Amino acid sequence: MAFIKLNDLEVEVEDGTNIVEAARQHGIEVPHYCYHPGLSRPANCRMCLVEPYVFFPPAGAIVPDRQLATGCTTTVRTAPPDRKLDGKYDFIVQTDSPRVKKAREDILEFLLVHHPLDCPVCDQAGECDLQDFSHRHGHDKSRYLEVKNVPPKKDLGPDVLLYSTRCIVCTRCIRFCEEVSGSGELGLINRGSHDEIDIPRSHDGTPIQVLDNKLAGNVVDICPVGALISKDFLFKSRPWFLEKADSVCTGCSVGCNITVEYKPDGVYRLKPRFHGDINQYWMCDDGRLGYHYVNSDDRLQLPLKRVDDELTPTHWADALTVITENLSEVAAEDIVVIGSAQGTNEDNYVLQQFAHDVLQTTQLGLFGQLPGEAHKFPQFTIEADKNPNTAGARTILGSANGDHVVLEGDALWEKVSGAKVVYLVSGAPERPLEAAEKAALESVDFLIVQDILPSEVTELADVVLPGTTFAEKDGTFTNSTGWVQRIRKAIDPPGEARADWEITQQLAKQLGGEINYHFAGEIALAIAENVPGYGDATHQKIGDAGIKLT
Amino acid sequence: MAEEKRILYEHLDVPDINTFDVFRQYDGYTRFEKAIAEYQPEDIAKMVMDSGLKGRGGAGFSTGLKWSFVPKDIKPCYLCCNADESEPGTFSNRYVLEKNPHLLIEGILICCYAMGIETTYVYIRGEFTLGKKMLDAAIKEAYEKGYLGKDVRGTGLNIDIYTHPGAGAYICGEETGLIESLEGKRGQPRNKPPFPAVEGVFGKPTVVQNVETLCNLPFIVGNGVEWYTQMGPTYADTRSDPPTPDPNTGTKLYCISGDVNEPGVYELELGLTSTELIEVAGGLRGEEVKAVIPGGSSAPILTHYELDTRLDFTSLTLAKSMLGSGGIIVMNETRNIVDCLLNIMKFYAHESCGQCTPCRWGTPWVRDIVQRIADGNGRKSTITRPKFGVAENGRWGDTGETEEIYEDLDLLESVANNIANVDTMTWNTICVFGIAVSWPAVSYMRKFRPEFEAAIREGKLVTLSVAEATVPPEENYAYQQRFVPKEFADL
Repeated sequence: MAFIKLNDLEVEVEDGTNIVEAARQHGIEVPHYCYHPGLSRPANCRMCLVEPYVFFPPAGAIVPDRQLATGCTTTVRTAPPDRKLDGKYDFIVQTDSPRVKKAREDILEFLLVHHPLDCPVCDQAGECDLQDFSHRHGHDKSRYLEVKNVPPKKDLGPDVLLYSTRCIVCTRCIRFCEEVSGSGELGLINRGSHDEIDIPRSHDGTPIQVLDNKLAGNVVDICPVGALISKDFLFKSRPWFLEKADSVCTGCSVGCNITVEYKPDGVYRLKPRFHGDINQYWMCDDGRLGYHYVNSDDRLQLPLKRVDDELTPTHWADALTVITENLSEVAAEDIVVIGSAQGTNEDNYVLQQFAHDVLQTTQLGLFGQLPGEAHKFPQFTIEADKNPNTAGARTILGSANGDHVVLEGDALWEKVSGAKVVYLVSGAPERPLEAAEKAALESVDFLIVQDILPSEVTELADVVLPGTTFAEKDGTFTNSTGWVQRIRKAIDPPGEARADWEITQQLAKQLGGEINYHFAGEIALAIAENVPGYGDATHQKIGDAGIKLT
Repeated sequence: MAEEKRILYEHLDVPDINTFDVFRQYDGYTRFEKAIAEYQPEDIAKMVMDSGLKGRGGAGFSTGLKWSFVPKDIKPCYLCCNADESEPGTFSNRYVLEKNPHLLIEGILICCYAMGIETTYVYIRGEFTLGKKMLDAAIKEAYEKGYLGKDVRGTGLNIDIYTHPGAGAYICGEETGLIESLEGKRGQPRNKPPFPAVEGVFGKPTVVQNVETLCNLPFIVGNGVEWYTQMGPTYADTRSDPPTPDPNTGTKLYCISGDVNEPGVYELELGLTSTELIEVAGGLRGEEVKAVIPGGSSAPILTHYELDTRLDFTSLTLAKSMLGSGGIIVMNETRNIVDCLLNIMKFYAHESCGQCTPCRWGTPWVRDIVQRIADGNGRKSTITRPKFGVAENGRWGDTGETEEIYEDLDLLESVANNIANVDTMTWNTICVFGIAVSWPAVSYMRKFRPEFEAAIREGKLVTLSVAEATVPPEENYAYQQRFVPKEFADL
């Protein structure tokens, strides 16, 4: 640990920390644009200038260094005992001296000379570093009278637009494509004040390569100004109208930490949230743009039952009655209960309890999205398993209340084809059915499906119960590397849809079972008590950072 | 009258000196042979240190000191020869490349021997097609004669030289910009530290030297340190006690252009004044000297009051200017300083690499302000303000007079100083390009303010007489010298 003097504070920071981070740790803002903790540091924006102090032998005193230093590239190290400043400090730095403030003002003035100042129509307004820092550190008026550069607006790829006029050429996006995605689609063209970000183009301007890698959306997040804009979010909402809920991405089993940004009428966008051991600062576009099903107009809002070979909306009491009637005379070994890898640990725990205590069947299965493609980037991984909670669902269905074999794949469908009643919790949007799966499900006498959207699975069902998506419920997911993390409810479920565990619990009550939870955290306590390895997995202990199963 | 002292250029005009055989007749490669026969590598490095040779590329940094920063235990180590001579007003290296390329190769060989370097890259300005052709031919010849390649002259040294043409960017003459360009990247300077001596080409220690610096090495080795140090003044750095010697030894290739009768490259001892130099170059063309740019277009200008300033590294630094690359541009009374500044600012605005914020958007801004003044659209306020200057008590302060406010001149000075502050010599940019922009902008404006004011007042370019156009030194702190250099021998 290095002992440094940061303005008037005497603080300890770890060796190798740069000044921007050291200051952030102690609540001091050092404004910066080009520096991003997940990328290399070119120190080209010159915004994070700070004033280091050095010992100046002729004067025999500690004085401000002649040149200001960039806070992002200046790192703190423990000095040898004879090199300590003032006998005790490893480093002395001022982040708010008059010189530093003047330098910031000047840099901001330069950053704004060619800026169009179109905040009223800019998507970034409200979360824009240029706006914020200008407000906090900048001049109140412009001295620029000359003609502004007006570089063209560009379409970089399927989801990314570039408003070149707003760009401050911090090169974060270029470095991201070089270092994290490794695809290198972006580069600088022209020189000097005509610098522009661009993709490779032939002479007539047609793109040779577009920004379509699986991580492309991150460049929009890291753009400190409104230059890179997501087409998906363009003109949808002002960021200050959006509420935020910390959650976990359901796109694959990596379990990227995300923030769900929403308004009462639906989810507006997903943004990655930092987790040092899982996703760093990033998320993939499959996850980022894969939330649209949550807002879909087709969402199941009422229970459906099959009347004259057609699914007809009904009400909960009726749907549950139909199920009870059909279940009452079936032997336990003819019932298969299938949990979902898209569901939370809590959903699956209640489902498991329902199967074990109420139906007394040991025939449990696991259903979820079909495997997709895995992608490996220099600093990021996308898993082939497209379910967020395969590991958790498998453990909880299998090991709570004794060891069960959780059937998956062919073994499951074999069992299903011989069963009379199947209770299938899906929750996987747009899940296509393979021929074997379809044949197996068609052979079932009475199929109960709990799902969020009409799909090939619901078409075969006798009763459909409307469940909820990740944005509409609380719970926990266990990712492929054993991290248990929380998702939080953002919006209300549509119509009369309910959390999956609530539906299962209601069904259990209807059948005379005694499952009685009031909220997801209560189920997590039961999981912690009963599932081996999940001893610490209560919501309180998981918190924001998650816990890793040992 | 001062005489030319030809050392580097001694045999420049000999026919076919670019061929190995002719070069050999004029002591070619004997200095290198002497070096490997008589000296250890450390001895060479010590000789260079003792000779006081300062880098001729622009910064004037001691070559011996630079070599001493190179870690001895990290190999490979590279030598990078900077032949990207692109400072406006400078044209001395190209003659060496075109006429006497073997001299450069010999310098490279001595440097490689001293530093234990096996690979040298010569980064040649892209426009020097003839220079590159001649150097390539000379390198080929040197390979054939066994002075390059594996086991040079049976000494066990392996030395290779590769030439690399630039693509036409001024900033690639900056040592780290050059290294980036050499590595095949965009020519944008790196953040320092680490300096190239520690982490340069391909992340390895690299010695970056100008052509002229390397060409000095054969003569230092051949004729000895004592012979070399007799040329040029050695000043005393009185900031330390006892004073330390501040050598400005050797000769310099002064590229004299502008309003002189015989412009060209003149090799002279360091320490001559502008007046002497103009004499050497055939005298002034025109009536009187209005201004002299002492070290390429980025150097602060000297007025006719400063013609007796000695043109060497130390004296010019203390006169708040620089020797730079030795590109001396003389201007007579017909030249308009606003127009000159506009020309220079157009160049810098075009050549800014655009990597860091102040330079990327500050340089075109400065250009646009000067353009506006030159077009006659400069702004002048209708109100006045108290004038600051040397007050009655002899100190800097309120003089009791009022002055008119020329808003655009204030803006020009402020914007230029925000890129790099010429008074404190600090810059917010990554490299020294920033100061290369603000130095001329501020110095021209401060020293020739009447001409700028006239352009704004009259709404067009007005060329004033020399006396009218120049601000006298006692009225302007732009002239203030920190102290007058004293020769070490006089102490």
